[in-house]
Amino acid sequence: MMQIQNLRQFGTFIGLLALCLLFWILSPYFFTVSNLLNIAQQTSIIAILSVGMTFVIITAGIDLSIGSVLAFSGVVMASALHAGVPIPLAILVGLGVGYLSGTVNGLLISYGKLPPFIATLGMMSIARGLALWFTNGRPVSGFSDSFRFLATGDILFIPASVWVMVIVYLIAHFVLTRTKLGRYTYAIGGNEKAAILSGINVNRYKNIIYGLSGLLGGLGAVILTARLNSAQPIAGIMYELDAIAATVIGGTSLMGGQGTIFGTLVGALIIGVLRNGLNLLGVASFIQQIVIGAVIIGAILLDTQLKKQKE
Amino acid sequence: MTSDIILSMSHIRKEFPGVVALDDVSFRLQKGEVHILLGENGAGKSTLMKILSGAYGKDRGNIFLDGEETQILNPRHAQKLGIGIIYQEFNLNPHMTVAENIFLGREPVNRLGIIDEKKLNRTAREIIQDLGVNIDAGKKISEIGIARQQMVEVAKALSLNARILIMDEPSAPLTRNEITRLFEMIRRLAKRGVSIVYISHRMSEIYEIGDRVTVLRDGKNVGTRNIAEIDRRDLIRLMVNRDLDERYPSRTAEVGEEILRVEGLERKGVLTNINFRLHRGEILGIAGLMGSGRTELARAIYGVDPVSAGKIYVRNKLANINSPRKAIRLGMGFLTEDRKSEGLVLVLSVKENITVPSLHKYLKFGVLNFKRELETVNGYIESLSIKTPGANQMVINLSGGNQQKVVLSKWLCCQSDIFIFDEPTRGIDVGAKAEIYSLMNLLTSRGVAIIMISSELPEILGMSDRMLVMHKGSIAGELTREQANQEKIMEYAIGEHRNYN
Amino acid sequence: MKKLLLVSLSVLMLSVFWGCNREQFPGEPTVALVVKTLNNPFFMEMQRGAEDAATELKLNLVVQAAEREVDVEQQMQIIENLIQRRVDVLAITPSGSREIIPVISRANRNDIPVIIVDTRLDESLLESDGAHIATFIGSDNYEGGRLAGLYVGQRLNGSGKVAILEGIPGHETGDSRRLGFLKGIEQSSGIQVVTSQTANWERNLGYNVFENILQSYADVQAVFAANDLMALGAVEALSSNRRGGGEIIVVGFDAHSEALEAIRKGAMAATVAQHPYDMGRIALENAAKLLNGEEVPAEIPVRIELITIDTLPGL
Repeated sequence: MMQIQNLRQFGTFIGLLALCLLFWILSPYFFTVSNLLNIAQQTSIIAILSVGMTFVIITAGIDLSIGSVLAFSGVVMASALHAGVPIPLAILVGLGVGYLSGTVNGLLISYGKLPPFIATLGMMSIARGLALWFTNGRPVSGFSDSFRFLATGDILFIPASVWVMVIVYLIAHFVLTRTKLGRYTYAIGGNEKAAILSGINVNRYKNIIYGLSGLLGGLGAVILTARLNSAQPIAGIMYELDAIAATVIGGTSLMGGQGTIFGTLVGALIIGVLRNGLNLLGVASFIQQIVIGAVIIGAILLDTQLKKQKE
Repeated sequence: MTSDIILSMSHIRKEFPGVVALDDVSFRLQKGEVHILLGENGAGKSTLMKILSGAYGKDRGNIFLDGEETQILNPRHAQKLGIGIIYQEFNLNPHMTVAENIFLGREPVNRLGIIDEKKLNRTAREIIQDLGVNIDAGKKISEIGIARQQMVEVAKALSLNARILIMDEPSAPLTRNEITRLFEMIRRLAKRGVSIVYISHRMSEIYEIGDRVTVLRDGKNVGTRNIAEIDRRDLIRLMVNRDLDERYPSRTAEVGEEILRVEGLERKGVLTNINFRLHRGEILGIAGLMGSGRTELARAIYGVDPVSAGKIYVRNKLANINSPRKAIRLGMGFLTEDRKSEGLVLVLSVKENITVPSLHKYLKFGVLNFKRELETVNGYIESLSIKTPGANQMVINLSGGNQQKVVLSKWLCCQSDIFIFDEPTRGIDVGAKAEIYSLMNLLTSRGVAIIMISSELPEILGMSDRMLVMHKGSIAGELTREQANQEKIMEYAIGEHRNYN
Repeated sequence: MKKLLLVSLSVLMLSVFWGCNREQFPGEPTVALVVKTLNNPFFMEMQRGAEDAATELKLNLVVQAAEREVDVEQQMQIIENLIQRRVDVLAITPSGSREIIPVISRANRNDIPVIIVDTRLDESLLESDGAHIATFIGSDNYEGGRLAGLYVGQRLNGSGKVAILEGIPGHETGDSRRLGFLKGIEQSSGIQVVTSQTANWERNLGYNVFENILQSYADVQAVFAANDLMALGAVEALSSNRRGGGEIIVVGFDAHSEALEAIRKGAMAATVAQHPYDMGRIALENAAKLLNGEEVPAEIPVRIELITIDTLPGL
């Protein structure tokens, strides 16, 4: 596993470097400290969602609800803030809403035996509906500076949201490689039957993993709300697809059992760098979409090609 | 049998990154013969046949069909040339009928381009009849047994006018009766002039069905012989290049105190009134035909499937085993029949597979101690001589025997003392089999108790201290090592006698 | 693997160069126009106006939009990236009246003047955030809505049942149009708004929502849609329910070419014409003024008018 995964990751990482090199040559504005921080900040939300998605996809599942869960957590948290709830508590409420939504996904999948695609597709609609219903369809806007600091403030010259992302990635990498939860995530995705026969409480771990994905949706909502100074019930539409793309570009197999957190970060950065670089170059919006699609397909082609070679 | 050469592969070479899979291999096939292809796992049999069936390209060498040099471009092209291959995993769509499967992709159509169902079914019936087997062409694949599915694969190949039929261990999933029927069909095909390449490990079959045999070892052809002119011992020597005693190692472990007792175990429609005891140091063989409930019994004891009645005592204590987790905590380890789909996580490493059920041992404050984990795993790799480049190798890259050792390590790592082996040596080559047997002996000498389910009677007879024979979900008979022989076991297995309960 | 990497990279390069439309006038300043989306004819017209003006004024122009109209976060990213690129003037049609404000502050900090087009920002948030814009260019949506309201009142002779299809809730544009419309029908005391629902600015939602309205309020006599796409959706819903042909008064907003065609055929009664082409043009003209150090007014109105079958421009 190590060899193929390293190779694959290495390839993705080289791809990211090549992309950076290309934009560096083409645009004088690309390789500046402020632009690189800008990219990191812009990537942070999708990157955080992708962490949960990576866990979920390694178990051979999928979470289509994450964009909607983000919106729902966001509006509940924002309403709490408007109701005068102290910031840390309001954030906990937002994270809690995300965690609960994710856990519902988990329960439907583990005990309800629903395919993850269906369960989270349903939750995608439910969470979005709840967000719209909760707010009457209107955004909840205007927060204190101390809350907005989470997205707009700098700590040691680096945006706070980038710090959050880095910390989430360090923790997630640690959990995935060095804890029981991480090891079981791989085992469940690689062969669920074998996992059960090896005594893993698969249902319980699925609940935790989908809950985790929802929790990170809530965290994404905190940053997005702080960044926009507004929680929109229509926020995060199709973010799940960006998160899936980042995860898959980063080498996580949709078949389950394989993937790394580091790879996902590279995947998210590839998408972020592409969007940024194409903007800097003034490439027409429609062409940007074509290029991003081509890169996703290219990355997966690379993956299948590598696997073929391995055989 | 005539001696016309229909196929000649000469000086074939095939390399994969880091491995020479085939080195200067020549292979000739005569019209209408059954040619056994023999070799340990990894000897190059599959690679050679994949080249012949167009799945792989060759790096060097030539292929002659009917004396003419031919390039086989891809599997479709191979089909056109009359080369059919039947893999161990069938390529059938379970939701379609037998007839639809046979003609998949080339259904007969009428003038309007609509599938001519009548013609489809009629032609399919003709082909099946021609094979001399009894299959309803209108049934769905999922509704017929594995033996019939295999016949459908054969029918499909013949409907493509196959002149060369490659069969990869066709008897592996079959019962003795089914094998007999398979052999009858093979003989009929050979008589008609179809040449069969038959890949197998099973010595007895080779002598029963083969005309000639080619032995591959480490990617080289080490000899082609007429079956009639070579005896078992020489054949094995040719294959492994060492004198290998096919007999079973002698059992010396002492049978100790009772460790497991099953009383009145029932599972509606599957198991009825199962009673037995298992002791430390003992190997309890469980024989029976396919579908007699052997694997189901193991699954029930291990807590995979729910039971409707009965009691299980472990170390004289009543145990409520409702999940594999519970079973593992009580010291059980289950080596499943199908390693790939139930025993191993193929995409994970040797290390990760071995420590899955005992992961808590390597945790310190919830954090994995890699060093200790690796030390333990390396210990097993060494003591069980698992052939792998390292603990981080994906198990998918290991041979069957080494995969089985990984599963075994998994349970050794848990300090399990009740092992359930379901078909412990299926798909494992001769050399590795002997190793697995000695490991079982080593285990029992340390006081471990083993339940061994097997379809191979010699294995049951050679390894068990005591054996239970199952028939239709219940235990039909119990035999001691001294009492038992193949005939007695078969009598119980087919329901001729009962001496139990 | 290397081959594939190369192939994908070269595809990327090709599309990048192919798509590069920058530096038409090397050395001249660059103006960026960021609209909500480029798959709406309104913004395509705005783009055309801006492009024509840019060519005349010898300015480089970059036009960008998010993939989805509602994705204000992505619009924000685009603007941040354009700030990185040091464009000289930013002209923005905000996807969110409040959400976009932090990035306006960022442009302010980088001394890039910001022109807001078409959609007003939330004044109080703008003020409390200490952000400022050079000018607002747009038609008065409220006034447009009022014109539509007056017209509906007139056509129904002062009494009747009316439905409203709203834009995305919380959007300033839609809210102003709706409030203007309500103001307009106030003149006629007998008009009753039976329902007011959102169709997210979308045509197919306009169809679905209005079809539902027809089920529950079969006696509705007029519908005001906050844009023409939703109005056209409503027209299709009417015709598929065999109630087309002008029996129910449909009034839209934007003077979309298909809406004008529908008015000519009698399927729609009226639309409010804004002039997005003019908006794009005026935005660029004022950008040029800002670049020359000239003063620009804080608000520049763009003409707005009601178009009915009688005032339909000759096609």
